[in-house]
Amino acid sequence: MDFSVDSATQQRIEKLNDLGREHMRPLGIEADLLGRPTPPEHPYFEKLVGMGYGRTRYTGRKGQDDSPKKSSDKSKAKRMGRSRASLLLSEQMSYWDRGVAVSAPGPGLGEGAIMSMGTEDQKERYLSPFIKLDKPRWGAFAMTEPAAGSDVASIQTRAIKDGNDWVLIGNKSFSGNSSRSDFILVWATVDASLGRAGHRAFLVERGMPGLQDFHIEKKMGLKAYESTSFRLEECRVPAENLLGGEAYYESRAGFKGAMATFNATRPLIAAMAVGIGRSALDESLAFARENQMLDDPRVRDRLERVTRKLRAARLLCLKAAWLADHQQPNIVEASMSKAVAPTAAFEATSLGMELLGMVGARGDHLIEKLFRDVKAMDIVEGTGQIQRVVMARQMLGLPHG
Amino acid sequence: MFEIDPGEDINLIVDVVQRFSSAVLSEQYRDFEAAKALPATVLNDYAALGLGSLELPEALGGAGLGSRAKIAVLEELGYGDPGATLALDGIGPALYAIAELGGESALNEYILPRLGDPGARIALIWDDGGVRKKVGLRRNGDHYIGTEPWIPCQQADLLVILDRQGVSIVDSGFTLKAIKGSGLRAAGAAEVVFDQAPIAMRWDDPAAAARALAKWQLYISALLVGVFRVAADTSREYAMDRVAFGKPIAHHQALAFLIVDMQTAVDSTRLLMQDAACRADAGQPFEAAAASAFAEAVETSMFVTPNALQIFGGQGFMQDLPLEKYMREARTLGLMAGGVDLAREVAGQDVCAMGATVELSALALAE
Ligand SMILES: Cc1cc2nc3c(=O)[nH]c(=O)nc-3n(C[C@H](O)[C@H](O)[C@H](O)COP(=O)(O)OP(=O)(O)OC[C@H]3O[C@@H](n4cnc5c(N)ncnc54)[C@H](O)[C@@H]3O)c2cc1C
Repeated sequence: MDFSVDSATQQRIEKLNDLGREHMRPLGIEADLLGRPTPPEHPYFEKLVGMGYGRTRYTGRKGQDDSPKKSSDKSKAKRMGRSRASLLLSEQMSYWDRGVAVSAPGPGLGEGAIMSMGTEDQKERYLSPFIKLDKPRWGAFAMTEPAAGSDVASIQTRAIKDGNDWVLIGNKSFSGNSSRSDFILVWATVDASLGRAGHRAFLVERGMPGLQDFHIEKKMGLKAYESTSFRLEECRVPAENLLGGEAYYESRAGFKGAMATFNATRPLIAAMAVGIGRSALDESLAFARENQMLDDPRVRDRLERVTRKLRAARLLCLKAAWLADHQQPNIVEASMSKAVAPTAAFEATSLGMELLGMVGARGDHLIEKLFRDVKAMDIVEGTGQIQRVVMARQMLGLPHG
Repeated sequence: MFEIDPGEDINLIVDVVQRFSSAVLSEQYRDFEAAKALPATVLNDYAALGLGSLELPEALGGAGLGSRAKIAVLEELGYGDPGATLALDGIGPALYAIAELGGESALNEYILPRLGDPGARIALIWDDGGVRKKVGLRRNGDHYIGTEPWIPCQQADLLVILDRQGVSIVDSGFTLKAIKGSGLRAAGAAEVVFDQAPIAMRWDDPAAAARALAKWQLYISALLVGVFRVAADTSREYAMDRVAFGKPIAHHQALAFLIVDMQTAVDSTRLLMQDAACRADAGQPFEAAAASAFAEAVETSMFVTPNALQIFGGQGFMQDLPLEKYMREARTLGLMAGGVDLAREVAGQDVCAMGATVELSALALAE
């Protein structure tokens, strides 16, 4: 396995470092102080769009794409895989500020499902605005409900066919960026007793009647982006907004699309946790050095341990991404990385607080913010426990249920 | 010597405190946190319970109860809101520094006049002697310079500065600037800037200073136990209610074991703390036991409170629920009383002097 970083990715990371230092970190701190997400009209988002961030993987309707294909097979061989490159970029963004990273414009977590399940028309309608953004735009993903998170199969939001429309009824929780999104990929069920097989995904557009009661949650940390709960009050959605169309669900269980999304993103989320941990570690080292604490073996041993755990977590992330780049199964590796990185990062922030002592208690040091940011990483995209369930099913044949 | 049951007198007091804590503190903690203060009514209601003089000698009009009683009270208050506790018990652990080093005359001078004022606050500050070279205060001859980055109150009548040699009283030459604070916001928060602050009174007595530190560690341990006990209780109840994959999440073995481990950590830490308090009340050496209880409490708090949040899943991360607060309070409490490294140092020194592990046993001491 080759984990080396190619020069193109290196350059992107350096560009990102400038952005991070100048904008991401200050914005994250500002949002944390003000206790609210960065507003969608903030000039930072315009700037990001101008720099080419927020774009979709979708390249346009087949045959319509007039831009020359970027990479010949030869140059592809020299470039590092897409998964590893985006992993390193995610980690680095999160190093500067994980909340600000998630607030960035883009098609959001639903992109993968739309790419793999969506009809050509749906990709064109919902993703083409993200090929080259004319302004900051967001897409969102809404699976979690008040009574169903890890156990996605038991979501209760109902989808009822009514003539040429679908009517959606239910509540969704904690959906990132959803109140500012052009569309939300909403998961619902046609028959809750069917579990996954009853699932359908819908592209619900902003302004559709019945999509209402957006409530931006007050969070412990990661305040720069909105985690929003909302209600679908007999929300009427045209039949063509059913992701993949009727035909898709006739041929297979409805749920597959969502699982695929999660598997692709687990190492990314793990890498983001590593980014938070590294940020805390760097701050801790700087503080300990400035205060001449590094000669204390009690301090040094713990810094060494945190460094080691973060390095190990990072290697697990890279391995999972490398496998993905080489189209090899990575379910276990992806879950391993996601299971360990958040705890390693948590330990880094908690140790940082101990080194700061009374400075940490003030509530205005970056490490204190990171301590509040990091806990979510063990919850989103499959909790630590769920990662272990996934691994145990794979490695031990642990029965479902 | 070591008694699990603290006795009827103390139990009666604990019952009263428990009622107050659940009726007032557990209900209003978010208001306190937002206001960074407690309303006068709450301060007065607590003062009316008459617990301010719990540990004062009977000769001075106190109840003459000891550490065992105090930690029981603090644990219940901490269960409701540890930040509020620091505001309610405004004299707080400064009492120990004054009593251990200054004796009865110092109690008469500094504590008794403040007992009748529910809003009185004395700040106890640990002078670590320059562990962190660029931050903190410094004693420079007969005055203090530098800045104490945080104290858990916005206004203090008096500063009591404890170090390993002794204690100083400072009542002028400093300014308090309000800050936000990470945890314990109900108590208020400020940084203290020392402008050649003169030492009004100083006692040097390393052994007494060590006892004062140990009682401070016990004080904070009790608040920590309160916080992680409520975190463990809350998450256990939730885990019995919340259903995922067809059963209460508590019945998935991964969580079942986690929950019982959390409960075990709560109980064992609590016993270490109670053991140390009993040693103190019996007039035995208790410094290492207190340091060890504090170190355990800090570690347990960083095991229990993040996992309690974890058990609540996404909701745990939201401020509608107190789980995120428990984590912040726990992390902040663990930085106090000199921090966990100092406690490890004190307890570790004692291990080095230990003849055999029979001394670990509470029973051995009863003989
Ligand atoms: C900051 C943030 C952003 C989010 N963004 C989004 C978003 O954009 N879109 C979206 O749809 N959702 C989002 N979520 C929701 C997130 O995906 C869920 O919170 C997560 O899946 C957990 O679900 P839950 O909260 O319902 O917890 P539950 O599933 O109720 O879990 C509660 C506890 O039980 C444990 N548990 C559950 N099942 C088992 C088992 N079988 N064995 C052992 N333990 C188990 C869990 O690990 C957890 O500790 C977000 C959450 C947060 C905190």
